Amino acid sequence: MRAADAAYPIGSAAPRESYLNAKRIIAVAKRSGCDAIHPGYGFLSENADFAQAVTDAGLVFVGPPAKVQRLLGEKTAARRLARAVDVPVAEGTEPLRDAAAARAAANEIGYPVLLKPAGGGGGKGMRVVGRDEEFEAAWRGATGEATAAFGAPALYLERQIRNARHIEMQILADGHGKVVWLGERDCSIQRRHQKLIEESPGPSVTDELRAKLGAAAVRIAERAGYVNAGTVEFLVDWNGQFNFLEVNTRLQVEHPVTEMVTGLDLVALQLRIAGGEPLPFTQDQITRQGAAIECRITAEDPFAGFAPASGRVALVREPGGPGIRVDSALFSGMTVPSEYDSLLAKVIAHGRDRVEAIARMRRALEEMRVAGIPTSLPFHRAALFEQDFVVGRYNTDFVAGWDPKKAPDLTDGAVAAGALAAVLATRSRGERRALAVADPAWARAAREDALR
Amino acid sequence: MRYEVTLEDRRLRVELGENGRFTVDDRVVAADVRETVRGRQWSITLEGSSHEITVVTHDPLRLDLDGHDLRAAVIDERALRARREAVGSRTGRVELRAPMPGLLKAVHVKEGDRVDADAPLATLEAMKMENELLAPSAGRIAKVRATAGTKVEAGAVLIVIAGD
Repeated sequence: MRAADAAYPIGSAAPRESYLNAKRIIAVAKRSGCDAIHPGYGFLSENADFAQAVTDAGLVFVGPPAKVQRLLGEKTAARRLARAVDVPVAEGTEPLRDAAAARAAANEIGYPVLLKPAGGGGGKGMRVVGRDEEFEAAWRGATGEATAAFGAPALYLERQIRNARHIEMQILADGHGKVVWLGERDCSIQRRHQKLIEESPGPSVTDELRAKLGAAAVRIAERAGYVNAGTVEFLVDWNGQFNFLEVNTRLQVEHPVTEMVTGLDLVALQLRIAGGEPLPFTQDQITRQGAAIECRITAEDPFAGFAPASGRVALVREPGGPGIRVDSALFSGMTVPSEYDSLLAKVIAHGRDRVEAIARMRRALEEMRVAGIPTSLPFHRAALFEQDFVVGRYNTDFVAGWDPKKAPDLTDGAVAAGALAAVLATRSRGERRALAVADPAWARAAREDALR
Repeated sequence: MRYEVTLEDRRLRVELGENGRFTVDDRVVAADVRETVRGRQWSITLEGSSHEITVVTHDPLRLDLDGHDLRAAVIDERALRARREAVGSRTGRVELRAPMPGLLKAVHVKEGDRVDADAPLATLEAMKMENELLAPSAGRIAKVRATAGTKVEAGAVLIVIAGD
């Protein structure tokens, strides 16, 4: 909000009173005299009724039209559409009436199964059910979460494909029937279906597989009459076999990864497309250079099972340097509220190749500081050194297999400094002052020397 | 004052002296200590190497040491003695506390119920996710302190379990 030219209040912190309140948002848009609404990537960004209401109010919706959103937003309809254009889908059901019907279907498909909300994406309201006994609790949790997030509780089932990679294809479509694909992102590193690390190109994606996924994504988009930016998600096994998952009818959190590799500004292109302009390039003109990785720094404690944390941020230092981009809302003194998603900042590293991108990301994460609340930073720092990540052979089980207890290798000097700081951190201000050293000039000179 | 410091899997004895002199495991170390952000960040130069230590959280104590994450604990002499005396006076009651602030969506048990360890006791909604709170240990529900539909603060006692 501090970066905005103008800001209008849209209601209280509870999402239902503000960010999920279409009427209020449109009223504010009209009052402010703006001519288009970009829905971002949360809340109402995949809500067809909202897109329709925006259009009906005489404003431009920056995203696919309501008709397309309705078609693809209903996940079981999207699965039917994919099948119709010869894109493989995982075994699954239509929307389910109640827990009993769902349980019967689960037993037929065979565990483990995935319970998914038919009405929304982003991993909210999704549950893996491993055994029949877990079904009731999973159904209850998923229904509640789906209702809170999308206002629609309908769920369906899908066979869970284990050991798979979550690979998605970015597409762009203009209002003149032209659809292109920009490249894939591997988003396999997830916890509770929330992505933590994304990268492009996918380290295990061959040119052949990329072309196949691109073509499949374009076929789906063309059949749906897609307009604007979108992402087609796939699960890919280690033999290169892929299944269509769903289409995200919006810009995604991880879009900077594609921007870094293609050099394109996706949000600017979204605005051009929404304004009726044709795509300014053809499929052949799209080039991809180097590799990019994104780490989503969230307000979650990786040492406590990634429990969400809220509170006051006491200190922030964001990394910089060549090839580093930080998209962040962090500032010291801010309060992380419990009403919204736990995403705090996105750190993106770009390099000539994956090795350079990893090296840059490691340095950036080492430079970054967030204090006052626990964050996912320790996980990300460790993950960039994990053997499976370094060689690019990881799948959706990566986070579950991560051991937070692995202690870093430190010199005796570092350990002694850490121990001293630990003691100081637990002393009162008065006690610390009594211990404070007068600033010896030689020490200051030596420290400045070391910085040269 | 002497302190026992735990940094991940290492345990050290620290004693603070005058003018930045302190001992670690009885070895005297000279350090240039600068509090760069009050109560939050220190720059410590010690034997030619420079370190930056940031307190990520105080409770539990988590440190960032030159970009490495460390779980730490500090116990002073008095606390050490007190802890030794406290052993053996455990009551056998276990509290389920809210791990984060949020909306308590549901409580799945009532007083008098018997529960196994890891049984779901309540559902807490925070950050758009529903979190199942599981029984920390097996026992009988002695007290339900919170009502479904209410907001709870982090650390609030929700349910008390009496051990077998």
